[in-house]
Amino acid sequence: MNPVLSRRSLLQTASCGFGYMAFSALSTLQAEQITSPLSPKAPHFPAKAKRVIFLCMRGGPSHVDTFDYKPELKKANGQPAQNRPGAKLLASPWEFSQHGKSGQWISSLYPNLAKHADELAIINSMHTDLPAHPQAFVQMHTGNFQFVRPSLGAWTLYGLGTENQSLPGFISLSPANGVGGAQNYGSAFLPAIYQGTPIGSEQNRGAAAGRRFAGAAQEASIPNIKNDKLSDPLQRIQLDYIKSLNMEKLRQDQHQPEVEGIIESFELAYRMQAELPSVMNLDQESKETKALYGIGDNATDAFGRNCLAACRLVENGVRFVEVTHGNWDHHRGLKNSLENTTAATDKPIAGLLADLKRRDLLKDTLVIWGGEFGRTPYAQGTDGRDHNNKGFSFWMAGGGIKGGVRHGATDEFGMQAVDGKVHIHDWHATVLHLMGLDHTKLTYNYAGRNFRLTDVYGNVVKEILA
Amino acid sequence: MDLIPRFTILALVSGFVMTSGIGAAGDSLSAEQIAFFESNIRPVLVEKCFKCHSQSSEKIKGGLILDTRESTLKGGDSGAAVTPGSLDESLLYTAITYQDADLQMPPKSKLPDEIVGKFKEWIEMGAPDPRTGDIKIAASPAMNLEKGRQHWAYQAPVAQTPPAVGDAAWAKTDLDRFILAKLETAGMKPSGDANARDVLRRLSFDLIGLPPTPSQLEHFLTAWARDPETALAGMVDTFLASPQFGERWGRHWLDAARYGESSGKEVNVLYPYAYRYRDYVIDSFNNDKPYNAFIQEQIAGDLMPADSDKKRAEKMVATGFLAIGPKSLNEQNTRQFRFDVVDEQIDAVTRAVMATTVSCARCHDHKFDPISQKDYYALAGIFLSSETCYGTVDSVQTRRGSPLVELPLAEAGPGAKAYSPGELIEMQFRLGQLQEQYAKTLEEVREERRQGTANDATNFLKVRGLQSQINLLETKLQSVNADGVPRPFAMGVRDRDESFDAQLLIRGDDENTGDRIPRGFPAVFTHGPSYTPSPAESGRLDLAKWLTSEDNPLTARVLVNRLWYELFGRGIVSSLDNFGTTGDHPSHPELLDYLSLRLIANHWSIKQTLREICLSRTYRMSSAFDAESFAKDPENLLHWRANPRRLDAESLRDSMLAVSGQLDLKRPEGSPVAEAGDGTVGRGIREDFKNVTEEKHRSVYLPIIRDQLPDALGLFDFADPSLVAGARDVTTVPSQALYLMNHPFVQKAASEMGARILAVPGLDKNQRAAYAFTLAYSRPPTDEELRKTGAFLSRFLETARTEEPDPKKAGATALASFCQSLLASAEFRYLD
Repeated sequence: MNPVLSRRSLLQTASCGFGYMAFSALSTLQAEQITSPLSPKAPHFPAKAKRVIFLCMRGGPSHVDTFDYKPELKKANGQPAQNRPGAKLLASPWEFSQHGKSGQWISSLYPNLAKHADELAIINSMHTDLPAHPQAFVQMHTGNFQFVRPSLGAWTLYGLGTENQSLPGFISLSPANGVGGAQNYGSAFLPAIYQGTPIGSEQNRGAAAGRRFAGAAQEASIPNIKNDKLSDPLQRIQLDYIKSLNMEKLRQDQHQPEVEGIIESFELAYRMQAELPSVMNLDQESKETKALYGIGDNATDAFGRNCLAACRLVENGVRFVEVTHGNWDHHRGLKNSLENTTAATDKPIAGLLADLKRRDLLKDTLVIWGGEFGRTPYAQGTDGRDHNNKGFSFWMAGGGIKGGVRHGATDEFGMQAVDGKVHIHDWHATVLHLMGLDHTKLTYNYAGRNFRLTDVYGNVVKEILA
Repeated sequence: MDLIPRFTILALVSGFVMTSGIGAAGDSLSAEQIAFFESNIRPVLVEKCFKCHSQSSEKIKGGLILDTRESTLKGGDSGAAVTPGSLDESLLYTAITYQDADLQMPPKSKLPDEIVGKFKEWIEMGAPDPRTGDIKIAASPAMNLEKGRQHWAYQAPVAQTPPAVGDAAWAKTDLDRFILAKLETAGMKPSGDANARDVLRRLSFDLIGLPPTPSQLEHFLTAWARDPETALAGMVDTFLASPQFGERWGRHWLDAARYGESSGKEVNVLYPYAYRYRDYVIDSFNNDKPYNAFIQEQIAGDLMPADSDKKRAEKMVATGFLAIGPKSLNEQNTRQFRFDVVDEQIDAVTRAVMATTVSCARCHDHKFDPISQKDYYALAGIFLSSETCYGTVDSVQTRRGSPLVELPLAEAGPGAKAYSPGELIEMQFRLGQLQEQYAKTLEEVREERRQGTANDATNFLKVRGLQSQINLLETKLQSVNADGVPRPFAMGVRDRDESFDAQLLIRGDDENTGDRIPRGFPAVFTHGPSYTPSPAESGRLDLAKWLTSEDNPLTARVLVNRLWYELFGRGIVSSLDNFGTTGDHPSHPELLDYLSLRLIANHWSIKQTLREICLSRTYRMSSAFDAESFAKDPENLLHWRANPRRLDAESLRDSMLAVSGQLDLKRPEGSPVAEAGDGTVGRGIREDFKNVTEEKHRSVYLPIIRDQLPDALGLFDFADPSLVAGARDVTTVPSQALYLMNHPFVQKAASEMGARILAVPGLDKNQRAAYAFTLAYSRPPTDEELRKTGAFLSRFLETARTEEPDPKKAGATALASFCQSLLASAEFRYLD
């Protein structure tokens, strides 16, 4: 079906997009240096975090079985749940214990990650507006599920540009197919070049039975990265010509920001050819590094590869990398499936933190773990948990984060956030703040109004800042 | 999940009435305490709180009911509202003092301090409260339904008189008057007419999904110069009559019908017979099957009368719509699986036909729309009483195979997988071997068991592995007659021997059953004549008739909105698959009603409706930018110009094949998936469904394996085949540029296009360039473009000669590179 040139094309900017027209007389290189919308930009204020890795756990991970220790829930196992007639509280089948100098409570599902307890700032008081996957997943990414809005990664890229002009500034590894699809890495009304580049796609349908729980499975590679027909100089000549055709279209149409997006995408694609293959080539890493991420083990291979790729991408100057892992929607068979899902992610995530540290990147890389909502402390059936948007957990580590702290709390059973509540808007404000961006000042004028990621909301969670 | 409505639902649905178990609390109260309560507290509760927190509230919020002492102490979802003696533990007090930003009651304005003070005093004195009694939740479904029916989309379309307009000469049709009137009210003007070339390209891509040929262009330009009206009408009729029309518009429906040729999900098993449904859809569009009949057949074709076996077969194939959905074939729980299949069917039917999400009422009443859990199970009974026949082979990972529908045809027709006598003998031999091996293995396992040395896990895999191979071979052998000619199987549905009502599953939990719900249709829509299914039948036929009755407020509107979206790039309702309360409002509600009623008046003819729209002045508007209009309406909601649009994945690929002279317009027989036959993706069958580089047929015929889309589709925003998806994303990402720069398919198209140009005798350099531009853009190049093209070719050749000594080869490379540039450029992909 033929979509309109979506809202992003309708930039109501006083200037016309990036102002290509003004520079059309200059050489390609000169024009790029002056006008590239991806050039690094100064943050609003100095900040420790320079880049983000968002480990996106699709489906709603159970907080009461992982990062939100609820001893009262254990005692109340089997008792009727107050807020849902007929339902019974379900104690976590896993033991919690304290870790690190900070004594963070983490369940036995995350033995490897627990070794990094002192790096983590755990937020136990997250909440979001709706307990439905598509809405909550989109809200987590864009702040708004009712309208098409730019994603967190797109805003970050818009605010800061990126350090490596030969790689996309925002990459989404194995993004989810449903639950909002491309919206979750979309740029909406922001210029198209700020959109995330998807690599691979989420598949919880690995061919081999052993990979069934591995989640994100498709090999993370970019197709068509090499031209078999033309030498590099010839391809450059061809691209210059394509650009001149597109500039002509731009001139004729007067106002066509999407064509600018296409021009940019060709230039970026050209540069990616030279750079991306070696960055994505994990064979350059030692056996020991791969083992750190659990690469080679059936259970952890797929997600481990994505985590290592994420590490290499940020090392090479990509501003925002998202890695999706699903499926955490444990309505049934909690005992088995949550164990499998955490096993698929524990070692890779622990490996990522260790590796970032080793490469001296953790100090200025913000690592985030979380899903669209949490799960109920009461049971669904006998061995499952339902959606819970009123209380769940995120954690953050790395650049600008005070490690070993715990912020906010849910009630005694983990049903809802009661103390130091952090809404998705607040989390967005905090992420931007950690990157040196003031969420109230990061605006884009569209259709006559200044839009923000956080709309009119958002409070920075100061308690977790270093 | 939301806790608020559940409370009400439970009470309603399971006939459960909450009663207060504890006896009166008022006995020990002093007269003063009672007086304090009656004069200071009760009036405030009644006046300020009961709208949302009483058993008589239309909608009880937060589960909080303040009618009795007991219910007040108990509180709502957030906990105790009042704890006698303790202000800190009394949420009611927290709320009325506005100390918590998230909990402030009454929500609109804080109570006067004096009243707040009285509540403080009251709680501190132990919250004396004489009110006792049972709580009966009286939320009346009838009332909610009446309110629900007021939503614009649930009201029957109303006949609309086209509004009067100032510029009467501009409006050529009634449709135009609806558009123009809104623009005039906003003080705006429609943009001028598009030029003939743009109109032709628009028509051609919109109606058949292909670029106009140079000779079509030439004829059209001449005809247009003579008389635009006649030229246009003639061209529209030509395109509507073309067999390519069904391929274009059938594909649009396939997006909404979540067409796919495999099960998707955890174990991706092929659907080798899905293509029959695809072909049925394409044929239906080409034959201009009335939309009401088209929908009826897809839901209950097997139950409809047919005057020949051929017609009967066609209608049976139509029900493939219900069978082709994604399925979790490795689901362990049989009951769960059946409910999942039904859930998916309800979702597809209600969203594709009515743009309404009913399936979220599986576990609870719809949060936003007036669809109850009861409504859901009323529909579920209809589908549970039907058997879904989708085939698939059982293997180690899947045990959920089903039969297929066998069509009343003598032959399966071309396309289905046939086996040669040699293959048959080989298969039978192999089957015998496997069966022998299976028997032997079983015996070995028994022996190991006796000796206590059995490894159950290994044995399980061994036995099930053999069983899988046997199943696969048996299925293959059964798919053909003794002579290897395929049997006429299809995917579809049929009624079960016995029909029954579904039991409501409380919270969607299959272990927690409630009342049986009589089969029927969502109450909010059933204010017209009743279509209660007869108890002896599944009710699908009644459902089909009800969906397409003229009283159904949604079906016609949803369709014309889809048609409008395809022609204008935006729906009158932007949320194509959601006409509920969380969907968008129509930008032109009167126009939507007008078009819906026109569709019905035209006997649900899609071609006639498209024809009327294409001949309007509105369709002919140019896409020219206008700063003044843009400032007023940047999103073009009022339609002051045509939306510039991007070609979708199929049109882009088909155009490359067309302009390079490679396109094979013949319909292929069957599908590569049918050719591959039964099996699981990635397990011993062809794994390269993604690789379609050599395919020359139109894109609608490419294999659509869920989660394994060919790049040509997947990279260019093709609809996810697992989802009902009326609208597609528009993305601009470098992976698309990489495809256009480097993919062998594009390179081949470019060199073929170059060869096509070279093959025309007697063209000089500039004429060749002009021909290429005409093929690609349907227009000649400007002088400036010619100059730039010349400069590019010389620069390219100069460098190419340093790499390639053969000047002829270097020349061909240069020409191909020029053609590829056109194919990769923005203009090739845009429709102005």
